[in-house]
Amino acid sequence: MSTKPLLEGRQVSKYFGGLAAVNKVDFAVYPGEIVGLVGPNGSGKTTLFDCLSRVQQIDEGEVFLNGENITTSKPHQVAHLGLARTFQVIRVYRKMTVLENMLISRQWRGEGIFSLLKPSAKATEDRARYLIDFLLLGPLIDEQAGNLSGGQRRLLEIGMALMPDPDILLLDEATSGINPTLIETIKDRIVTLNKDEGKTFLLVEHNINFISDLCSRVYVLNYGEKLAEGTPDEIKANNEVIEAYFGAEGE
Amino acid sequence: MDAILQTLIQGILLGGFYAVMVLGFSVIWGVMGVINLAHGEYLMVGAYMAWALSNAFGMDPFVSLVVIIPVMFVVGYVIQLVLINRIVERPHLMALLVTFGLGIAIANVVKLLYTADPKYINISYGGATEIAGLTFPVVKSLIFIASLIIMSALALFLKRSRLGKSIRAAAQNKNAARIVGIEINQVYAITAGICIALTAAAGAMISLTVPVFPFMGPPFTLKAFTITALGGLGRIPGALIGGLVLGITEVMLARFVPGIGTNIGIAASFVLLVVVLIVRPQGILQGLRPMDEVD
Amino acid sequence: MALLRKRVEKFAQGWFAFALWILFIIALYVFPYSGFITEKNELMGTLQTLSQLFVLITLASNWNLIGGMTGYVDFGHAVFFGIGAYVLGVLVTTSGGALWFAPALPFWVALPFAGLAAALFALLIGMPTLRLRGPYFSIAMLGVFVAMREIIRVWKPLTGGGAGLTLPPQNALFGFPQDWFRMGEYLVMVGLMGIAVGLSWWIRRSEFGQTLLAIREDEVGAEMRGINTTYHKIAIFMVASFLTGLVGAFWAWQNTFIDPDVVFFETRTIEMVMMSMLGGLGTVWGPPLGATVLYFLQDLIWANMGDVHLLVLGTSMILLVLFLPEGILGSLSDRSGTSFGGLFSSSKRTEREAAPQEKSVIEKSSGGV
Repeated sequence: MSTKPLLEGRQVSKYFGGLAAVNKVDFAVYPGEIVGLVGPNGSGKTTLFDCLSRVQQIDEGEVFLNGENITTSKPHQVAHLGLARTFQVIRVYRKMTVLENMLISRQWRGEGIFSLLKPSAKATEDRARYLIDFLLLGPLIDEQAGNLSGGQRRLLEIGMALMPDPDILLLDEATSGINPTLIETIKDRIVTLNKDEGKTFLLVEHNINFISDLCSRVYVLNYGEKLAEGTPDEIKANNEVIEAYFGAEGE
Repeated sequence: MDAILQTLIQGILLGGFYAVMVLGFSVIWGVMGVINLAHGEYLMVGAYMAWALSNAFGMDPFVSLVVIIPVMFVVGYVIQLVLINRIVERPHLMALLVTFGLGIAIANVVKLLYTADPKYINISYGGATEIAGLTFPVVKSLIFIASLIIMSALALFLKRSRLGKSIRAAAQNKNAARIVGIEINQVYAITAGICIALTAAAGAMISLTVPVFPFMGPPFTLKAFTITALGGLGRIPGALIGGLVLGITEVMLARFVPGIGTNIGIAASFVLLVVVLIVRPQGILQGLRPMDEVD
Repeated sequence: MALLRKRVEKFAQGWFAFALWILFIIALYVFPYSGFITEKNELMGTLQTLSQLFVLITLASNWNLIGGMTGYVDFGHAVFFGIGAYVLGVLVTTSGGALWFAPALPFWVALPFAGLAAALFALLIGMPTLRLRGPYFSIAMLGVFVAMREIIRVWKPLTGGGAGLTLPPQNALFGFPQDWFRMGEYLVMVGLMGIAVGLSWWIRRSEFGQTLLAIREDEVGAEMRGINTTYHKIAIFMVASFLTGLVGAFWAWQNTFIDPDVVFFETRTIEMVMMSMLGGLGTVWGPPLGATVLYFLQDLIWANMGDVHLLVLGTSMILLVLFLPEGILGSLSDRSGTSFGGLFSSSKRTEREAAPQEKSVIEKSSGGV
């Protein structure tokens, strides 16, 4: 683990009216790590993601990606810097096929308005097909995304996030509403991407098993504040965390 | 100094009217999420009704409110049931286009019936009175007072009556309201009836001060939008404040910027509108519901 | 069925369709010389009718660039028409006032300036307005339109105010004799239309067009995938308005008289929206088709029912939105191109309700309206 974080947040805060959805959160994700972000509903996990991916303004604090200060960057700029993100509510283009979805997610780097009629380049299509196979969506390649099951769409969304070959992926509740077999697939793919390509992951999750199996470190948020951080085992044994999760899924 | 004070008064009187003019628009938006681009046309219809009653029976527009309000309530109720309820839960664009089309249709029906020639109402009273050394134009002051009365009545209704509470419930959470047994379509229809009746009432009042013609609607719709943007959705205090801001701005501009006609009020509304939308979509009052909550 | 639709979509975007378009344009250029109609007055009349149709087609196609393909439904687009008209009007007349120092310019010189002025205005006004989400953008543009009309009316020294501006009688273009001036206009309009629709086709199948589609379908997702949405939105906005400005300028020239009400005519925007919707929002050939249908429908109504055509327009709008939101071509093709995917999808609305945290108050949120 190198000493410089890939993604780092210092005292990140976001307010809605008088309410602090994210309150002075510090965290760091190092290259090659798989880090978890957990917390009860409403603890600010998705809002934090929104801040990191720059979909939301950051009211206080700073965020650094690869050493660069991205606190006021626009989402497309951080995308160019190597950050990718999936959403809680799956965003795929339902009327387009799986392949088309992948193609439209290729790496966009400032085409001018007069980018001539370039139907997608061969390299892009190759990569799209490769990723489709990698995510075991091969047979569905020409299927309309709207016809896929929830889990398959989730995989597609991950594939779309992978198209620009990002350094770090922020996955927002990638397993919610997915059947266990597909969860295993997702888990397996993450591990492969992490081991073989060195991709870094920050996962927001409710599924504690998923987190335990995958993550080397976990942050716990509660009411927008960082409640705890540590290895999955440490977190599970932490009394405050247990209290915060009162009533949530066991284990 | 005196000129400024006078202008301020004019602005306040206008602002009060604007506030009541806007209510129908704002509440429909707040409760149903429908941006009613036919708003100005309902106002125009109210104005025509006032003129027609004045022309045929010599009825004073304020008196004719007694007729106009119930009639337009029914009209609004029916239109809502038949047409608008179909688009309430659909994307905004549909509501915009449908109400846009409706506005055009209404304006042109009126044009066919009454031609595009402007109509004017003749009233026996007019001029101005002096109170505490300040001049108050009679008609506009009456309009202002009537507006305040109407606004208070609405506020009371929404707060106290059962129906009012159902409306507010439906506005905040459609599905929860349904579960509690509130018949949403009915509530919408009644809300629309009230709002459109209100708007027509505003139109009846304005007929005293401006020429009435079929295409007078759009500026009012636009102003309604601006004021709602300023004051927040479905909020009576917000409508009042927004209306006052717009009214005062308009009058000040007309008075103190040379060479500008009153039509510049539109341009002013628009500039104000864009500024507000960019800078503070929630409106200028703190603690208002953000507009996007209605999506 | 789905396969057939896909085929229609592919055809529409392909070279073959474009070739057909070019052939059509060439045919239009040949038509007046073809001896089909020999009687001069009849020919001039036909050319004038066709020019009017071409104006509609071009306007619909331009509007579709921003409204249909990008999903920013511009309710005030006619403002660029008006700006083009007035800029041309001011430049070709020796109006005193602000431009007293400049001589009257010939039509061909003034024309590009008119377009540029419209594009610059688009840049200026687009920066704030394109940040607004769906309905707010639409209404803000409506406001721009109305405001501009009043500003022009008030700016008497430059624009002649409410009294209007009279342009010099059309010196026939291209050296045609004066009583053949309709010919020159016809040729210009065919060219404008050819370019506008051709450009629309080109954009649609280019990567730029793909970006616009992505923005329309899911703007936040597009941003997240590296698309600089602001840049793209403003770019297409400027293109659409440039072209519309040219049409406005041409129209002013043709009419020789402009005033704020005749030029900033609300109905024009409605027509643009309707034509595109009727044909198929977001498709290339939809708006021209819609324009043609609308034109003949209006002609029919004028002939038989006289003054009700606006009423019919308004009512048709309602019916169209409720019952045929995809338009003609949209219903035929595979719908991935039309806005049915983006702007009318009711599933979008419920999805957004489920994820309130994702919305940022100021930025445009999930795609469509």
